[in-house]
Amino acid sequence: MSAVKDTFEAKVLAKSSAKPVLNRSVDFLSSVRFGVFLLIILVILSIVGMVIIQQNVQGFDSYFASLTPAERTVYGSLGLFDIYHSWYYNFLLLILSLNIILASIDRFPTAWSYLVSPKVKATKDWLLNQKAHSSITLTADTEADAAEKIKALFESDRYKTVITESKTTEYGQNADGKKDFSNVITRRQLTVFGEAGKYNRLGAYIVHVALLTLFIGHFVALQSGFDADVRMIPGDESDQIQMIQFNLDKRERFNVQLPFSIKTTDIQQKLIDPKGSIDVPNTLDWRTQIKITDPEYGETVADVSLNKPFSYRGYRFFQASAITMGSARNIDLQLTSQADGSQKQLSIPRNGAASLPDGTYVEYEEFLPDFVFGAEGKPDTRSGEYNNPVAVLGVTPPGGERTRVFAFAGNIAENIPVGAPKLGYKWRLADYEKSPFAHVLSIKYDPYNGAFIAWYFGGIGLMAALVFVFAFSHRRVWAVIEPNQFGSYAATIGGDTNRNDAAFEERFAKMIDKLEK
Amino acid sequence: MAQVISTEKIYAAEAVRPSSWTSYLPAILAIVGSLGMLLLRIEIGQRFISDGALMMIALACYIFAALFQLTNLYAPSEMARKIGLWSAALGVFFNLSSWLVRWVGAYDWEIAKMRASGNMEQPWVFRYIPFANLYDLSLAFAFGAGIATLLLARRRNFQVLAAFTLPLAALILTLARFIGGEFIDLPPVLDSYWRPIHVGVASLSYGVALVCFAIAVIYLLKDKAKVEAMAIWSSVFGLAVIATISKFSVLTELIYRSGIFLPNDGGGKPFSAPFRLEVPWVGEALVIAAILLLGVIVSFLVYIYQQNETARSVGHALLKLSLVAQVVAIALLIGGIRGMGDVPAKLTSQLAADPSQYVTAGRALAERQQLSAAEYAALSPIQLEQMGRQYVQMNGERLYLSLNTNPVEVAGLLTALAGTFFVILFAFRTDKLRERLPSLKSLDGLMYKTACLAFAGLAMLLITGAIWANESWGRPWGFDSKETGALVAWLTYAGFLHTRISRGWTGRSSAYFAIVGFLLVIFTYLGVSYLLPGLHSYA
Repeated sequence: MSAVKDTFEAKVLAKSSAKPVLNRSVDFLSSVRFGVFLLIILVILSIVGMVIIQQNVQGFDSYFASLTPAERTVYGSLGLFDIYHSWYYNFLLLILSLNIILASIDRFPTAWSYLVSPKVKATKDWLLNQKAHSSITLTADTEADAAEKIKALFESDRYKTVITESKTTEYGQNADGKKDFSNVITRRQLTVFGEAGKYNRLGAYIVHVALLTLFIGHFVALQSGFDADVRMIPGDESDQIQMIQFNLDKRERFNVQLPFSIKTTDIQQKLIDPKGSIDVPNTLDWRTQIKITDPEYGETVADVSLNKPFSYRGYRFFQASAITMGSARNIDLQLTSQADGSQKQLSIPRNGAASLPDGTYVEYEEFLPDFVFGAEGKPDTRSGEYNNPVAVLGVTPPGGERTRVFAFAGNIAENIPVGAPKLGYKWRLADYEKSPFAHVLSIKYDPYNGAFIAWYFGGIGLMAALVFVFAFSHRRVWAVIEPNQFGSYAATIGGDTNRNDAAFEERFAKMIDKLEK
Repeated sequence: MAQVISTEKIYAAEAVRPSSWTSYLPAILAIVGSLGMLLLRIEIGQRFISDGALMMIALACYIFAALFQLTNLYAPSEMARKIGLWSAALGVFFNLSSWLVRWVGAYDWEIAKMRASGNMEQPWVFRYIPFANLYDLSLAFAFGAGIATLLLARRRNFQVLAAFTLPLAALILTLARFIGGEFIDLPPVLDSYWRPIHVGVASLSYGVALVCFAIAVIYLLKDKAKVEAMAIWSSVFGLAVIATISKFSVLTELIYRSGIFLPNDGGGKPFSAPFRLEVPWVGEALVIAAILLLGVIVSFLVYIYQQNETARSVGHALLKLSLVAQVVAIALLIGGIRGMGDVPAKLTSQLAADPSQYVTAGRALAERQQLSAAEYAALSPIQLEQMGRQYVQMNGERLYLSLNTNPVEVAGLLTALAGTFFVILFAFRTDKLRERLPSLKSLDGLMYKTACLAFAGLAMLLITGAIWANESWGRPWGFDSKETGALVAWLTYAGFLHTRISRGWTGRSSAYFAIVGFLLVIFTYLGVSYLLPGLHSYA
């Protein structure tokens, strides 16, 4: 190590150790170097969380079962099964936020000074030390004319300009060529200063503010809200929803009281092939119609579709999943009269009813997709598939008693009781609109709209700020104009930028070329 | 009136003049031309050239363009440069055409199914935008890399970039070829206007990250990084690929087993069977390649740390031999899979020799059933074996082999081969090559610009994904594997930018960051989809 470097480092050490511990701690916490270190730790922990399957991810159960007891104990005690909610991960995010805040506070005054007190003066030597610089000789009637020409040049390249007159002082030389301190020479100097995009200096701070907004909004949403599921069976009404908490391979469910009740009035599954299955690949959309009865605000009817949630008093309702036990949203019945063989058509919505011209009242009672007689000989369904669908109806003839009737889609022998004509008709299920037994809605409670603030203000703000930061830069140029001994003027032009040096230098060259032409 | 007499200029930048609008012509023509292809597809209908064929032409163009740019690099020729540039433009044209034609193809495919079943509904056109699975994303990713290359190539001194970026784009298209371009039934949750925004941003930012990676490699080459050090890293990658493919069986059992397909009766993508079938001689060839790669690593480590010239010569000889071994192994793999007849009989005899494979298959089947931990733990080896045997009984006769069963493995082997090839190429007349590369300063500047773009693009990817998730299921961020992967890559680029501020890390240090960032992008793009469970397992 050279002596010069030794001395320099000793000075730096002496300077830093002379600072109070608190100041040194704050310096450390606000350093970009510490921020980069935190980023690396965050990256490592996040990768650990990707490699070790997390407890809320599908497939965790079999993964957990495949681990040895020792692995479960070690991973569990280190919080690796739920690393993103562990105390140390949250602590790391907190420290990173602190680092961002402190680093921003530490550096903001410097950035602000670019805005409020731009460096309008420069010296020739300083300009010659800039990466992009040029020396020009130009004739002009006056120094002011020369300055105006340079000013016009800067303005043609979209710089905002200002001309400053200043005095420079230097010492003359004696006969030996050394500085003569008794000979003070004062010169008048014109400096043309131009700058563009100065607000770009604040870009990094806007990025960090957006990032903090995102963190805080997300934190508020997590702390003040919750997620829950509710099963939506047409006709059912409830003022409770079920919250699920993961605890390794166990799911604990809690009921949460709502300030209103929700009734499912209709569920629909739009299928690609209406005759196909109600599985996910054959599905275009799920739609649930709900009616909210609120003691404070009365009744509200709403639709919840996939990717089209519904918001109500801080609660958002989303389509989550479906219970794919086959059912029917609507049934079309074909009735053949035993008396004259005439046919009648009847269409009934789920849980609905319709009347025949003779006054017979037909109610939709139940839909069994795969009819079978159960263990006790009662009608039941073998599976959720539409293998042998039957609509179970409650039929009340005028003045008669309500009778249970089975309308099959397929052929069934008339000599067995469920297939026999009843109340003067042969009942047949002509068609039906497939729909699942129930939908499951996910309900997100976010009373302060934390997620919205986080991602719309913070997230979109971050995107805009990044465009603001990277799309342009703070460019500065100076020209020092001095008369020379030939009666013309020498202009020393130089400039710098805070970002993208290569592009700036290219632009600078182009500007000087323009002056030549 | 002022008048300039003389100027004396000292610019730090290279004397590169901004180019005119005509320099954008290759990119403009590629995009406009592919829109024309879209119109032709709509007009002509299904008789028009398929998206798969267009993708293969794009792949050929990318390789052709890279070859001419490499020729221009080693033996400068204006004709080679022009052919390289316009072949790259053609590659981008066919790449984008393939993607656009696929959009119409996906529409026709589903509408035909709907009409056949009497469903007259007319879903919106963005439902069919080709961002539904990894094949679609790969097409768009390669396009992102191709168009970014064309835009940078408007400066003549950056046209050399194509020699490095286009082989990578070609590898991505090769991967797409092995993934298979069958249309899938779109999971309903993906039918959102956020999908084109989110996945579109993903493919473009991945493409820019690829270009940033290529610039970093060129920077290291220009900065006189030892080709032998590059050979060590490429060999480590090759070894890692060989060690992990075929569920680690190559180095542990000296056997390569290929995945098997079961046809999909619905006409869609075939299902992966829970068994693998041995492909003769591939394991042995890969083990030889692995031994040679290990020899490369040891020889070059000795050379680097002991300046042993003999070790260097041995290392280079081993590197060339390892290239031959890898070519042979890949040829045996392709030939073996294509020529494998009577898969059921061969699988049966393999299982008779090693019945434990039934248990492994049974375990895979049990995992697919999403059993609870208690149910899964309660399954005995006998029950698992029974599940495996039942599967073979039910489906054994229909099983078949295809190159598409192992897209990541084949692409991994091809990438390792390309890595070895390029290192051998760089070792040839290295000093001449370095002379013809752009200056370190301009490469560093370009690397910074592309890293900024990749950083901003990945930020947009994360945010649009979070907003979409919040709109669709009220959970903007859930630390899903793909989300976390993209976050990790983004944080790495954040590290790239901040270390430039805090430590003045430019040049070589930045290049290492750019390389790590891109590797994480690739892990997010492929590794997460194939290795880790999560919400994005379809993509």
